[in-house]
Amino acid sequence: MASPPVSQPEGMLPPRSEVGVTGWLHANLFSNWFNSVLTLVSAALLVTGLWFGLKWIFLAADWTVISELGGRFLLGRYNTEAACEGQNCFWRPQAALIMVSVLLGAAWGLRGNRVARAVAWLVAGVSAAFAFLPYNLATMGLDVRILLLLNLPAVPLGWALAKYTPLGTGTRVTILGVAIFFITLILLRGLPGLPFLQPVSVVYWGGLSLNLILAVGGITLSLPIGIALALGRRSNLPVVKVLCVFFIEVFRGVPLITLLFMSQTLVPLAFPEDMPQNSLFRAAVVITLFSSAYMAENIRGGLQALHPGQAEAARALGLPGWQTTMLISLPQAIRNVIPAIVGQFIGLFKDTSLVYIIGMLDVVAIGRSFIQSNPEYLPSARELFVFLAAVFWIFTYGMSYISGKVEDYMGVGRR
Amino acid sequence: MAVEETTTGQEIEDIIICRDVHKWYGSFHALKGVSTTVKPGEVVVILGPSGSGKSTLIRTINHLEQHQRGDIIVDGIELSGDIRNIDAIRREVGMVFQSFNLFPHLTVMQNITLAPTKVRHWSKSQAEEVANELLTRVGIPEQASKFPAELSGGQQQRVAIARALAMQPKVMLFDEPTSALDPEMIKEVLDVMRELASTGMTMLTVTHEIGFAREVADRVIMMDEGNIVEEAEPNEFFTNPRNERAQMFLSQIL
Ligand SMILES: Nc1ncnc2c1ncn2[C@@H]1O[C@H](COP(=O)(O)OP(=O)(O)OP(=O)(O)O)[C@@H](O)[C@H]1O
Ligand SMILES: [Mg+2]
Repeated sequence: MASPPVSQPEGMLPPRSEVGVTGWLHANLFSNWFNSVLTLVSAALLVTGLWFGLKWIFLAADWTVISELGGRFLLGRYNTEAACEGQNCFWRPQAALIMVSVLLGAAWGLRGNRVARAVAWLVAGVSAAFAFLPYNLATMGLDVRILLLLNLPAVPLGWALAKYTPLGTGTRVTILGVAIFFITLILLRGLPGLPFLQPVSVVYWGGLSLNLILAVGGITLSLPIGIALALGRRSNLPVVKVLCVFFIEVFRGVPLITLLFMSQTLVPLAFPEDMPQNSLFRAAVVITLFSSAYMAENIRGGLQALHPGQAEAARALGLPGWQTTMLISLPQAIRNVIPAIVGQFIGLFKDTSLVYIIGMLDVVAIGRSFIQSNPEYLPSARELFVFLAAVFWIFTYGMSYISGKVEDYMGVGRR
Repeated sequence: MAVEETTTGQEIEDIIICRDVHKWYGSFHALKGVSTTVKPGEVVVILGPSGSGKSTLIRTINHLEQHQRGDIIVDGIELSGDIRNIDAIRREVGMVFQSFNLFPHLTVMQNITLAPTKVRHWSKSQAEEVANELLTRVGIPEQASKFPAELSGGQQQRVAIARALAMQPKVMLFDEPTSALDPEMIKEVLDVMRELASTGMTMLTVTHEIGFAREVADRVIMMDEGNIVEEAEPNEFFTNPRNERAQMFLSQIL
C-alpha cells in the first residue's frame, strides 16, 4: 500500500501517507500483513463482544432489581423505621447531596472546565431524575422529591458563587469541600439534644454513600499522613525514623481484612476511653492508615529518585531544610509518582467494600443482602453485579481521568 | 583576621579565609590541609587534574561538604557546626553548578524569585523586578515564563547564574559552569561571567577554560591530590610555573 511519490519540494508538507484517515489507518492498523491480520481479528472480536453485550444490556437483562433497590443503593438502611424512630431522616442525606451539587457547581465555576461541568450536571441530573421515580407518595413523599429537584438549581448556585463572589479561589473551594464533608457527617450522624437531628447509629449507614465517605476521608488523610511518614523515614533522628519504619512495615505487612477485624478491638485502645467511637470510625482509621503506609512508600520512592543537586541548589541559595523539602523536593517527588498515588487512591476506593466483613452494608453488601432477603430477585444477581461493577468503574475511571489531567497540567514527563 | 594595607591606604579584610582545611570522605583524605585567602573583588580560578579536590574545596566554603579540621571564615562568619552560621554564609555566597540544577517544576521567574522571597523576605513584586533586571543582564529577558526544560543548556546556565545573583551575594562559586555545555554555548556563559568579574564580584571558579583564566583571573590556584601545589598570577602561572606538577598539568592541557 505504498503511497504514490509526492512531487513537492522537501520540507513543505508531510507526504500524504503521514496524514489523514487513510494515513493513520495505514500507519497504525495495516502497516504490514501481520498487523493487518491482527487488526481484522481484533475488530471481529470487538464487534462480536459489543453485539452480545449490547443485546444483553438492552434486550435480555431485567434491570428492575436496580429500581427496586432504589434509595438503598445510595443510603443503605439509613431511612428505615429502625434507624430513625418516629421521624423522617431522609432529608439529611438529601441536604448533603444538595451541598455536594453546590460544591461541584463551584468546582465548575472555578476553572470553567468542561469535565467539571459535565460531572456537576450528571450528579444533579441523576439526583433530580430520582424525583420522578414511579413510587407512590407513601414510599417517597413530595418533600423528598422536591429536595431531589433542588439539586438542579444548586449547580448554577455553586457556579455563580465561585464566579462572582470572593469564594472563587482554589483554596477556598477546597476548604468548602472539607467543610461540606464534615457537615455531611454531622447531618447523617445527628446531634444528641437537637430534636430535628436525632442521632442515627452508624450501623444503619450503608450503600454507596458509605463507600464514598470512607474513600473521601481516606484519600484526603492518607496523602498528608503518607508524606509525613515518608519524610519521617528519611529523617536523621533515629527515634522518628524507627517509629515510621515500624508503622509502615506493620500496616503494609498485614492484610486489610485482618486489620479491619482487629480494628474493632484495637482502635479503642488507641484513643481516650470517653471518646465516642463506632465501627465506622474504627474502619475509617484502619483504612486510612493502611493506605498511608503504601502512600509513604510511593512518596519515598519519588524522593529517592530526585537528583541530589536539586536539594543542594536549594540549600546553597540559603533555603532552610524544611523549605527545601516543602518547596523543592516534595513537589517534584509527588509529581513524579502521581500514577502510583492515584493507583493507591483507586485501590482504597475499591477496598472500602471490605467493610462488609465487620457488618457494615456498603453498596455491594446492600445489593447482596437485598437479593438474599428477596429470593424472587435471585435470577437478577447478574444484572445487579454488572451494575455495581459499572458504578465502581465510573468512579475509578474518573480518578484516572482527573489524574491524567493533573499530569498534563504539571507537565509530567516533559519538564 | 588577616588585614592588609592597600595602596589607597584602605584596609581590606579577606572575604574568604581557609586555614589548614582537611576533609575526609570516609577514610579517603580529599583535602589535606588547604590554606588560602581571597580578597573582596578578587577573581580566583582553581585548576587541577580530575579528583584533585577542586569541587570539594569550593563546596566546603558554603558547607555543602563539611570539613573536619581547620577553619573556614567567610565574610567574617566562622563556619562551624552552628546551623545559623551556615545559613548566614549561604545567604552571602552564590553557587553555580556544572549541571545547572535549576528547579524543573518552577518557571525561570519562580526559580529566580524563590530564595529572595523565602529567605530575604522581599515582596513578590520587588523580587520580580530584580529578576527581570538580572535576566536582561544575562541576556535572556524574554524567557521569564518558560520552564527550564524549554531552554538551551547555555540559557539554563545563565538562568542559574541569575538565580544565584538574585540573592545579592558577596561571593560567587562556580564549579565547572561550562563543562556540560556545547562549544557554541560556552562563550555566552563565559561572557556573563566576564561581565560579572568586571563589576567587582568576588569569584571562585573551577574551570578548564584556560582562556578565561588567563584573561579574567587575578590569581590561579592549582590543586593536586588534595593540596594546593601552586598559587600565582595567571601570566606567571601559565608562562613560568615553578611547581613540577603544574608544569606537567599545563603541558597536558595547553
Ligand atoms: N561524596 C563523596 N564520597 C566519597 N568520595 C568522594 C566524594 N566526593 C568526592 N570524592 C572523592 O574526593 C576526591 C576529590 O573529588 P572532587 O570532586 O573534589 O574532585 P575534582 O577536583 O572536583 O575533580 P573533577 O575535575 O573530576 O570534578 C576524588 O577522589 C573523589 O573520588
Ligand atoms: Mg569537580
